[in-house]
Amino acid sequence: MTIAIELQHISKSFGETKAVQNLDLEIPQGSMCGFLGPNGAGKSTTIRMIMSIIHADSGSINVLGTNALDAKDRIGYLPEERGVYRKMKVCKFIEYIANLKGMYGPSLRKIIPDWLERIELPNVENKKCEELSKGMQQKVQFLAAVIHEPELIILDEPFSGLDPVNARVIGKVINDLHKEGRTILFSTHILYQAEQICDRIIMIDQGAKVLDGSISSIQEQFDPRVVQVEPVNKSISFDSIEGVEHSTQIERSNKVNLRIREDATPTDVLQRVVAFTPVISAQLARPTLDEIFIEQVARNRGADAADAVRMEFENA
Amino acid sequence: MRKTLTVAWREFRHTAMTKAFLFGAVVMPILMMGLFIIVIPLMQTTEEPLKGTVIVLAPEDVVAVLQSKISEEDTTLQELLDKLPEIITQDPLAGALIPKKIETDLQISVAPDEDIDILKDQVRNGDYLGLIVVPEEIVQTEQSDVRLEVFIPKSFSPKHTDILTSLASKSVVDARLRRLGHDPDAIKQLTRRPRTIATRLSDDGTEAKDNEFARKIIPMAFMMLLWIATFTSGNYLLTTTIEEKGNKVIEVLLSAISPIQLLGGKILGQAGVSAVILCMYGSAALAGLLSFALVDLIPISHLILFVVYFVIAYFMIATIMAAIGSAVSELSDAQSLMGPAMLILIIPFALWPIISDQPNGMIATITSFTPPLIPFIMIIRVTASTEMVATWQIMLSIGIGFASVLVMVWMCARIFRIGILMQGKPPSLLQLVLWIKQG
Repeated sequence: MTIAIELQHISKSFGETKAVQNLDLEIPQGSMCGFLGPNGAGKSTTIRMIMSIIHADSGSINVLGTNALDAKDRIGYLPEERGVYRKMKVCKFIEYIANLKGMYGPSLRKIIPDWLERIELPNVENKKCEELSKGMQQKVQFLAAVIHEPELIILDEPFSGLDPVNARVIGKVINDLHKEGRTILFSTHILYQAEQICDRIIMIDQGAKVLDGSISSIQEQFDPRVVQVEPVNKSISFDSIEGVEHSTQIERSNKVNLRIREDATPTDVLQRVVAFTPVISAQLARPTLDEIFIEQVARNRGADAADAVRMEFENA
Repeated sequence: MRKTLTVAWREFRHTAMTKAFLFGAVVMPILMMGLFIIVIPLMQTTEEPLKGTVIVLAPEDVVAVLQSKISEEDTTLQELLDKLPEIITQDPLAGALIPKKIETDLQISVAPDEDIDILKDQVRNGDYLGLIVVPEEIVQTEQSDVRLEVFIPKSFSPKHTDILTSLASKSVVDARLRRLGHDPDAIKQLTRRPRTIATRLSDDGTEAKDNEFARKIIPMAFMMLLWIATFTSGNYLLTTTIEEKGNKVIEVLLSAISPIQLLGGKILGQAGVSAVILCMYGSAALAGLLSFALVDLIPISHLILFVVYFVIAYFMIATIMAAIGSAVSELSDAQSLMGPAMLILIIPFALWPIISDQPNGMIATITSFTPPLIPFIMIIRVTASTEMVATWQIMLSIGIGFASVLVMVWMCARIFRIGILMQGKPPSLLQLVLWIKQG
């Protein structure tokens, strides 16, 4: 397995604040990796260090077999804080950034309209950036990050500020780029987005890694404590079943989540549910990344910290 | 290097190919050149001749002097011209700026013993060109508080007014002299100052005419040109850097190039802008010198040294501006850091009169080796000196200048690397020093 990004014992502080602490990371080439964590977890700082925009206090970083300074032309980067030259025409802006990425010549001018079409921004190449909406500007910035066809694409919160339709358009392009064999690392604090498109995730909290692996392997690590049931009789109560702590109706669904008590086993509860009433479906619920992350925070930093993170995810 | 040049070209285009720049740095100097070459000669409109009868209420001897004076040539203008250097009076364009003599055809009419108000009404009605009232007291003594009065119609031109008032006052002076038995024309001839020419004798046997105008104005013009070219582009560098920080495009740029490449590109791009400004304003100044036939006052060696000092000055100013621009997030925040820098760089203006007078004095010598004043002070010294500034001093100033540029670029790069991604409160000067240490 070839490693696209390798971080060893990386630390970075800003004054008294430890932004990243002794972080080790390996991102295989060709993977679609989600870099997850709540706001302020250290995601953007880590990405900036990977890009050699800021330098680590300690540790080593290897990107595409070298350092990011030497590999900049092979990396596409969409920063969290995005910007354009407001007075510049869209095609000129994209061309300028592509030039800085080492891409020149008439072929560049030819592919810009095709790419704009691909991200559903046709006929804007001669408009000034300031004439575009914020969402459209964000798509232009995304295009500027990938137009030079980099081997490694690093996207910091690529979907923030995009409406669902545009998020889907960008998501599809990201998927296509991944299928073409490019390594993609993208950060988000909205974990379900990563759950939908990533084959691998890295979670950090307070600058330290808390989880790293494929989604399925991570989910397997966490014992499901919820049974999800869709009963034939929609008004039936499951609270009397032995081993069930409480039940919760899932919104806009006929399904009910049954929380399992600590002293009960999920399979026993599942059998009791099926015996209790006719059901359309009954299964052990796979934990979401949000749940896994909150549980991990609870383990590391206690219940109060986990509650704070839960609140943040709910508000995101 | 190609990426640095890409940044430089964008920086140049973004600054120099805008309407505001074209107006400020291209159209304005062209207008100035046009002013010298076309407009000034056109401004020389011919004044209407002064014709008519002036009524005079004055003692008889004063009336007699007035009568004789109106038939004489007016020498006032000639006296003024005599004070101008030949280099101006003999130049056709410069000569165009000198006021032309106004044709006069005046008659004097002695007022009958009438009420002065009636005479004023006659002037008002246009019966007479004007009324001159000379009381006896002012002819007797110059100590009198009584005034010589000249009444003219409301629409009378200022130049015509000058002619009448000058005629009247000179007649009074001549009348006084005659009463004391003197000949006014003889006294005028005796008190006329001879024209002098100062010639400087060089050790190599050559002689050169001293030109005070050149010694005073040309150093100032050179320094101003240096200031305009370097500070204008330095200011653009400051604003474009703050703009890139403000619109968040800086991180996109830094993902493609290193901070040093970005800084280098920006400084190079603005160097082009500075060169354009220098060429445009320099051409305007040259057009002015050509118009006044003063171009001989600037030897080629001064122009070569000017280019060298321009390079030093530009990089010094550019590094200061780029460092400040990278350290702050808003233009208003830059003012607090610009203050100390401006205080230092305003020193050449304050010292200009002293250095022009004593280009080889102690103050001039010390400040010409003190960065970042070197280029501004040296260009004043070189152009103001009646003899060439010592070669070793020129070489040393250039050496210190380029060494200072290297140090300033190094310090600026360290500040730039840290400051460019900083947002929020601007750093203090002490923090900038810390950044230089950390960078």
